[in-house]
Amino acid sequence: MNQVASLLIALPLISAFFVPVLKQINKSLIKPYLVLITLIQTGIAGWVFKEVYTTGKPIIIYAGGWRPPIGINLYIGHFAALFVLIIAVVSFIMAIFSLKAVTTEPIDKYAMLFLLLMLGATGMIATGDIFNLFVFMEITAITAYALTAYNKTGEAAEASMKYIVLGGIGSSFFLVGVALLYGATGTLNMAQLAELANSINPIVAQVGLALIIFGLAVEAELFPLNAWAPDAYQAAPHPITAMFSAFVVKAGIYALARLLYLLQKASGWSSILRLLVIMATLTVVFAELSALRQKDVKRMIAYSSIGQVGLIALAFSLGTQAGVDAGVFHMVNHAIVKTLLFLAIGYVGIAMGGTTMENFEGLGKKMPLTALAITVAGAATVGVPLFNVFWSKLRIILATLQAGFFWAAVLVLFASVVEAVYYFRLIHRMWFMGGGIRIKEGVIAGILVILAAIIILIGVDPAPVWNIVVKAGSDIFNVANYVKNVPLVGVGS
Amino acid sequence: MLKRALAIVAILIIGYWLAQGLSQVPFGQDKMLVSKYYLDHVKEQTGAVNAVTAVVVNYRGFDTLGEVTVLFIASTGVGALLWRKKRKRTAKTKGSVVLTTGSKLLFPFIMLFGMYIFIHGHLTPGGGFPGGATIATAFLLMYMAFTTYEISHKGFEVTEGFAGMGYVLVGLIGLAIGGYFLFDWIWQTWHLGTSNIGRLFSGGFIPVIYTIIGIKVGTELSGIIDNMLKEEVKE
Amino acid sequence: MISAYYFGAIALILIGLYAVLVKKNLLKILVGLSIMETGVNLLLISIGYVSGKSAPILSEGITPSQAVDPIPQALVLTAIVIGVATTAMALSVAIILYEKYGTLNIEEIRRLRG
Repeated sequence: MNQVASLLIALPLISAFFVPVLKQINKSLIKPYLVLITLIQTGIAGWVFKEVYTTGKPIIIYAGGWRPPIGINLYIGHFAALFVLIIAVVSFIMAIFSLKAVTTEPIDKYAMLFLLLMLGATGMIATGDIFNLFVFMEITAITAYALTAYNKTGEAAEASMKYIVLGGIGSSFFLVGVALLYGATGTLNMAQLAELANSINPIVAQVGLALIIFGLAVEAELFPLNAWAPDAYQAAPHPITAMFSAFVVKAGIYALARLLYLLQKASGWSSILRLLVIMATLTVVFAELSALRQKDVKRMIAYSSIGQVGLIALAFSLGTQAGVDAGVFHMVNHAIVKTLLFLAIGYVGIAMGGTTMENFEGLGKKMPLTALAITVAGAATVGVPLFNVFWSKLRIILATLQAGFFWAAVLVLFASVVEAVYYFRLIHRMWFMGGGIRIKEGVIAGILVILAAIIILIGVDPAPVWNIVVKAGSDIFNVANYVKNVPLVGVGS
Repeated sequence: MLKRALAIVAILIIGYWLAQGLSQVPFGQDKMLVSKYYLDHVKEQTGAVNAVTAVVVNYRGFDTLGEVTVLFIASTGVGALLWRKKRKRTAKTKGSVVLTTGSKLLFPFIMLFGMYIFIHGHLTPGGGFPGGATIATAFLLMYMAFTTYEISHKGFEVTEGFAGMGYVLVGLIGLAIGGYFLFDWIWQTWHLGTSNIGRLFSGGFIPVIYTIIGIKVGTELSGIIDNMLKEEVKE
Repeated sequence: MISAYYFGAIALILIGLYAVLVKKNLLKILVGLSIMETGVNLLLISIGYVSGKSAPILSEGITPSQAVDPIPQALVLTAIVIGVATTAMALSVAIILYEKYGTLNIEEIRRLRG
């Protein structure tokens, strides 16, 4: 019965392949079809979530019927179940948003690329095999290249080209890392790699792990490989930017964290951790400082998103259980907040005709529900108490201090102050400058209000979500448990 | 100048570091762990003689599904980025006599050769991807020889969609019959062709999948060629 | 120190990386990316080689103990296709860039974009 969870992968795939046929039948059916498929995917993901969290055992899918390490296995543990559900829900919301927001032709190809972006991120999180991770990473990346350039303007093409070059270098280095690890161990299965980790030659382990981290850092938008991110976020269609920020970058960070913790017995691990702490802190500092100077709100929020992602990476690279739990909590909160922000900004973009600072003046009078939602999300990102991010940011800073990285905590606090400056500047512009007549806000505003309510709910009572997050965090940190759950067949002779 | 020197220094450092790592993975030594199992059991578990094909389609078939998806994304992406309201070919020079007669003559033979490659994937090196690429080459030759040749875009897109759905359907039938996604139901449940190892009618569902992949890759690559060779018609 | 095959693969990767970092023409950068991916594929296959053994096609005469490692060859099949897909996408974006800016020089494009 559990193998039916493989529909999580099969459903988006077969529906994406069906779109060319649907186009011949009736072109206007495509956008509603997208909403339908994401709804079904949400249903399956919800069922998987319920199964994994009520029984406490991960769902392991054997592709082809072969037991690992002979075949490829998908490991849907607590973390994967949580995030596959988040991916499905965010995609559903963005499919509804695409009904109005995306009008550039050819819309059938947009629908195919949308479904495959969702599939790529789901696969990256659910897989248990390192080369399969590479394949799904490439599915996500190539779909992202196409979707970044989808609007076919000059800026979009240049952003996409930067992304392609950096992404190509990253994936080549990732593959060299995989080659080294395969040469040293003879297997590609993640659980078996964790088992054999302490017998790998130290130099090979260090070089291999560093190359893999480098390759994943491009997808995970860490300094200095995130030069593509602000341009790509700004130039992509509005629903796609929300998806990038909500789950594509999270899938990259998750893969980074997963591989890092699986190979923790390999020698040289702590020096790689230190390198990651430095990269993550630099990401936060540079992103927040750049956000201060932006005139276009979408670009400003893109820099803010990169900064928060640096914070998540910092939490994961501390090497402690508290750090990992805090990081997962921040991932969940950040997904909700950034979905709201990019949805709202996109909505303002299509209602007002642009996303520069001027378009946001007087929004409090023109579109009060949207402005309220942006205010809630902005206050949340800064870390105001009673909103969700306050709890996760607090835990991250505490975990950083506990792990002994005093300077990193100071820099992160400084970056939060900078964040407050530009968010409150935006809020001031919305409510206290300019004026205008009230515009009718439709279904999108309703979704924005629901998301804002969730933010406040988690802020007031974080305990239920925190319990789920702790289980997800121990899924990543507790590698012995992971290896025990995968029924490896003995292969050596 | 400074940028060039910095780049060379950085590259040499990276190269030295990679060489250090690789020196610990000795060349030519037997480091097989999972592969040993594959080589020992490939004939009776999958029915293919070509171990690489068995690994690609059967043992690690999930990766191949992802690979087929990647090509599909490339073809869709190229179609989305180069989309125009009306397009037509703008080549001006017709090919030489050798090219025009030769391509018309060789077209069926190249298609046949491509089909041979993907049908015999479980017996000889090759498989769906080189077979599909060969079929696309036949179409490319026709494009280069004639200035007004074009493929029927609609027909190719629909074929591509159906071939992709076919692959996922084969996997879903495996889920229904054997209980696992991408289970080889032809070899392991119906036991078709178990006495034929080394001949054409063996290999479980490998020929079926490779035929689907061959058709898919052929139509996709031809679609990419068609998209790139056309330019916008301004009215 | 290291075998000639590893050396050749690393050299290809470095040449490709050099082209991507230093060259200014967009098509030369894409060729460099392609060379880099070829180098990585060569490296993958060289890791799977076992001295004295032959191709892993187990028809008459070849026993399982006489075959090379089949896994890296399967990995490279996938990696080649992914490389083709990336190149195709990159070339379409280059076509759009040329139509919008009239040049393929990345410094010109950055200047025109402002």
